Amino acid sequence: MFQEEKLQKAHDGDLKAIEEICSLTWEPVYRFVYYKVQNRQEAEDITQEAYVKAFTYLQRNDVKIEKFIGFLKTTALNILRDKWRKKKRLGSKVNYDEISPAETAVDDATEASTQRTVIQDAMNKLNGEQRTVIELRILKGYSTYETAKIMNKKEVTVRVLQYRALKNLAAILKSYD
Amino acid sequence: MVNDEKRLSDYIDRLNEEKKPKAHENSAESSEMEELMKTVRKVRSLKEPTLPGLDYPGKLAENVAKQLSSKPAVKNKKWTWIAATAAVAAVVTLVLTLNFVLHPGGIDIVYAMEQAFQEVKAYHGVIEIIEKNAEGQKTTQAIREVWADKEGHYYVKELYGSQTGLVTVNNGEKKWQQRTDEKQVFIFPAFPDPYRFTFELGNEIDDVKNAAVVKTIGEDSVSNREAAVLEVTPKGGQPYRIWIDKETKLPLKRESAMFNSIQYTVTYMSIEYCDVLPKELVAYSIPAGFEEIDKNPEQLVNSIEEVEGMTGFTPKMPKEIPQGYERDSIAVANGMKTVKLNYSSPDKRNRIIILQGKEEGELNPASTAVLGTVNGNVAEIQSPVQGDYGIIAGGGVYSGITDISSIRWQEGGFEFAVVGNVSPENLALFAESLTGGPVVIPKGDEKTYDKPQIKVPVDLEIEENEQKSADAGHSPWKLDPVYVAQVFASLKISPEGIQGDYPVPYEDIRLIKNDGVDAVAEISTAKATVRRVYLKRLIRQDSTGIWTVVGYDPVSPE
Repeated sequence: MFQEEKLQKAHDGDLKAIEEICSLTWEPVYRFVYYKVQNRQEAEDITQEAYVKAFTYLQRNDVKIEKFIGFLKTTALNILRDKWRKKKRLGSKVNYDEISPAETAVDDATEASTQRTVIQDAMNKLNGEQRTVIELRILKGYSTYETAKIMNKKEVTVRVLQYRALKNLAAILKSYD
Repeated sequence: MVNDEKRLSDYIDRLNEEKKPKAHENSAESSEMEELMKTVRKVRSLKEPTLPGLDYPGKLAENVAKQLSSKPAVKNKKWTWIAATAAVAAVVTLVLTLNFVLHPGGIDIVYAMEQAFQEVKAYHGVIEIIEKNAEGQKTTQAIREVWADKEGHYYVKELYGSQTGLVTVNNGEKKWQQRTDEKQVFIFPAFPDPYRFTFELGNEIDDVKNAAVVKTIGEDSVSNREAAVLEVTPKGGQPYRIWIDKETKLPLKRESAMFNSIQYTVTYMSIEYCDVLPKELVAYSIPAGFEEIDKNPEQLVNSIEEVEGMTGFTPKMPKEIPQGYERDSIAVANGMKTVKLNYSSPDKRNRIIILQGKEEGELNPASTAVLGTVNGNVAEIQSPVQGDYGIIAGGGVYSGITDISSIRWQEGGFEFAVVGNVSPENLALFAESLTGGPVVIPKGDEKTYDKPQIKVPVDLEIEENEQKSADAGHSPWKLDPVYVAQVFASLKISPEGIQGDYPVPYEDIRLIKNDGVDAVAEISTAKATVRRVYLKRLIRQDSTGIWTVVGYDPVSPE
């Protein structure tokens, strides 16, 4: 109920309401974006961009947003797709204003949870060394130097190992499709 | 191919640093590389996301509001208060950031660290210790997982190195070490605990706080965290570097000076903060098939009557327990000869032990101790405890633990000691309550000694160099006034140099005065030409300061 009132105030341009909505809703949006980009710097930037676009849309259009967080996530997703399309130079340039996010507002999906199970299962299919290098480099965040020390290998060997491990993993994941 | 391997590795590094990789900008990648990068992101999604700093929600709201207010579609420009608040916040943030990075004295950084650590309840991390020699070759000595809280409880497991698999735990009631290869569990007293895992955060911060000089020398990145680098010069030691996380304001890495061609670097490869240690890690249990070996030399008892039965004497009890402490337990140690009364503060951070037993010979204070009095009796006061003598030797392992102090004296046929991780002044409260008499701890600025008959000229520049040499670990005997007196008196007998045994034995020298700054040593050797040696700590007046002979009394001609 309070959200509806605040959203209305935000629609009317009340910056205090905008500020409050940001403070209350940022985390699930950030987590959603982070899941896609996997780094804090980009997640922060895109989250902020999503809020600006979402509020701008809200103020320009007289619509009722039932699920604001879902709306924000869709907005964020469209920003990401826009960036990826620009990068690939494929297809026509997407005009955000032609899309109506209000019509595509979605709730939290359980897709992420299913994906995790799939990825873990695929990792278990790698051989011991390949799984170890991926765990150390990506999950634990060790540098190639630190990983080389732990695995008692040279750094150049670690780079080769992780490349092959990821190629194998990508192939396994593709086979699940 | 090699280029692809490097690019992929750089991509992983960039994500590990929580930064936007170049590949996410406008650069085009092959479809194969895109697939690999996507796979990297999928694997990373198994981890919890790294959340932004605590100030992010505020900054987000502020930035969004700013951007919206600059757009023409916004109807109301009521953002004066937001701008004002944001401006103030921005200035405060900027001032604090500059203060943190630029303050030459480093005092604000130390304060920030102390404040930050006050908020910490417990932490969990993986520590890596690397040894580097003078040729620059590095070897990983150990990798260990640590869980620790502020009550001195910890769980440490060696993950890599010569002691892989060793687990050491102290839960405040018990300390044990589990040796998997030998299938043995060794039990030790929980306090005092001479074991300190390297880079315990509280100790590190205390060391920086008590250092002689702290200065900020730069910035760096450690374990994907931005850090400020400090150079710390301790009193009585060589300078070292410490990296402080800019966000958490807590230590992440320490690098020692190159000493004897070896340098050690200790780094938290990962660290997270939590409220409590996992119960299952600090609960004592013996794995199936393991042998328990009890190295704890003491036996807990339930009453004073039990103590009398075991030791043959009635222990003296403090008339009143000083405020802020409560009695924990009573124990008997050292083959039933020493009684231990254990006290602690309610949070268990401060612990005091009163030791007592029948006196066995003269007091013989440690040569590095300050001499005071307890109820008129000569008392040996050590802070920190450097020598385990008399009843302290039979009470446990105390010397070598830098935060343990002691007061020891003899009275009425018994020897007493009050030992704890508090100042001698606090220990004195227990001693006074036990004996009913005053405790005198000399301050070091009192003129209580006679002047030497013959003054010895001193070259301060030479003494300063000697102090630096002692700080680097050379000539440790210069920290012992008895040794310094022995060398001086021996050279008076053999000025050409000392060959073999010293003409004046160490045992023939007794300190009759020592207040930590001035000391007088009396020599009883028959052939000595010096009766008394007067010494002073000229360069530094604490336990890390060297002693210098400033005068002497020759033997009076008969």
